[in-house]
Amino acid sequence: MKIIALLKKDFQVDWRQQSPYTGILLFLSSTIFAAYIAFGGFISVELWNALFWIILLFTAINAISKSFSQEDRRTHYYYFLCLPTEVLASKLIYSFLYLLIIAGFSLLLYTVFLGIPNFSLVHYTINLSLGCLGLSSAFTMVSAISMRATNRSILMVVLGFPIVIPVIILAINNANRILEGFLWSQIQGNVLSLLSVDVIIIALSFVLFPFTWRS
Amino acid sequence: MGYLLKTAWWKWLCVAMLFYTVIAGLLLPVPRLPILNETIRAIHFNVPMWFGMILLFTGSLVYAIKYLKSSDNRFDTYSYQLANTGILFGILGLLSGMVWANYTWGEPWSNDPKQNASVVSMLIYLAYFVLRGSIQDEQQKNRISAVYNIFAFFLMIPLLFILPRLSDSLHPGNGGNPGFNSYDLDSDLRKVFYVAVVGWTLLGYWMGSIAIRLSLIKQKVDDQ
Repeated sequence: MKIIALLKKDFQVDWRQQSPYTGILLFLSSTIFAAYIAFGGFISVELWNALFWIILLFTAINAISKSFSQEDRRTHYYYFLCLPTEVLASKLIYSFLYLLIIAGFSLLLYTVFLGIPNFSLVHYTINLSLGCLGLSSAFTMVSAISMRATNRSILMVVLGFPIVIPVIILAINNANRILEGFLWSQIQGNVLSLLSVDVIIIALSFVLFPFTWRS
Repeated sequence: MGYLLKTAWWKWLCVAMLFYTVIAGLLLPVPRLPILNETIRAIHFNVPMWFGMILLFTGSLVYAIKYLKSSDNRFDTYSYQLANTGILFGILGLLSGMVWANYTWGEPWSNDPKQNASVVSMLIYLAYFVLRGSIQDEQQKNRISAVYNIFAFFLMIPLLFILPRLSDSLHPGNGGNPGFNSYDLDSDLRKVFYVAVVGWTLLGYWMGSIAIRLSLIKQKVDDQ
């Protein structure tokens, strides 16, 4: 139940400050609008998909990099109050839900500006949420790793991008196939490998997080 | 001369094997495969680099795990220097592969999944060095870089298996191209290739051990 308390605290901190939510929403809107201006509203399906994932990738790294860096002064309390796995679990759940909402909002906004190709929304959503799970958990762990370093914002990108490449490649590839109208049975294998990469990331986080926590 | 006589036997073996690799690899007859022709000789110099790199990175991983278990600073030095030597092998593998690709495929870089995978693994370990450079506290630096080392290694491995499945490759051994398969790696090539792999890997181990000893001595001098 400590996990729920921590989740509630994270939500309250962000809600009262307002700036995290509004900042990310503005970031998304202006990026999508810039893409719309740049491409003039007419792009091929493949480019549509690639651009969407790249926007999501950059938004995710901006949204989640704060998840541990904002805890700098509070770590001592947590250290005595909770187990490291409880802290990590709450952060993973929070950043997954956060990124899921961001992804839903950006898909909505993106289709308004850049058009909507003909595709199976259910399959696309399953693939999108698995991609979000991978991105959010990998970036949460990287945020914990870079918490102690001096130049955090650069480190997030430098450490994070090579690590999420398996997730991104699989997710973009699946999404492309879904947009091309492949059947579920034809992409099932790749969706399962995306899920297994997610499981690897989460399992590694639970094993390794306690070591970054101790100070 | 006294030093040479005391040198361990495997170092002599390594030197002999590499001499054999260079001479026999360039002079012994090779099978005539389409497209590859004489460039197949690159197999003795390019492929062993990847074997060496993966082995050195695995060694780095093992010492990172040992460090987290024991907090012994020696293991951190092992881990760091092995990763350092691994990067050197990776860069040499990338360069030799690009020279080969330039003659065989007509361009040094052609979006080949194996090339991409090797660049990503380079990026991961270069990021590891950046991370080490940006944490001030010694204990924290060692522990957190060990955590990143383990995290990144286990995500690099699926990448090496996923990437080739998603796109076609011109690389020998992929998609019906002749290459590293039991039936077309013929006995002429095998005579050199296995020796080359063992020789280059021994060289990697040798370089790694020298780098480790040098850095341990430097630490000792600094402490005094």
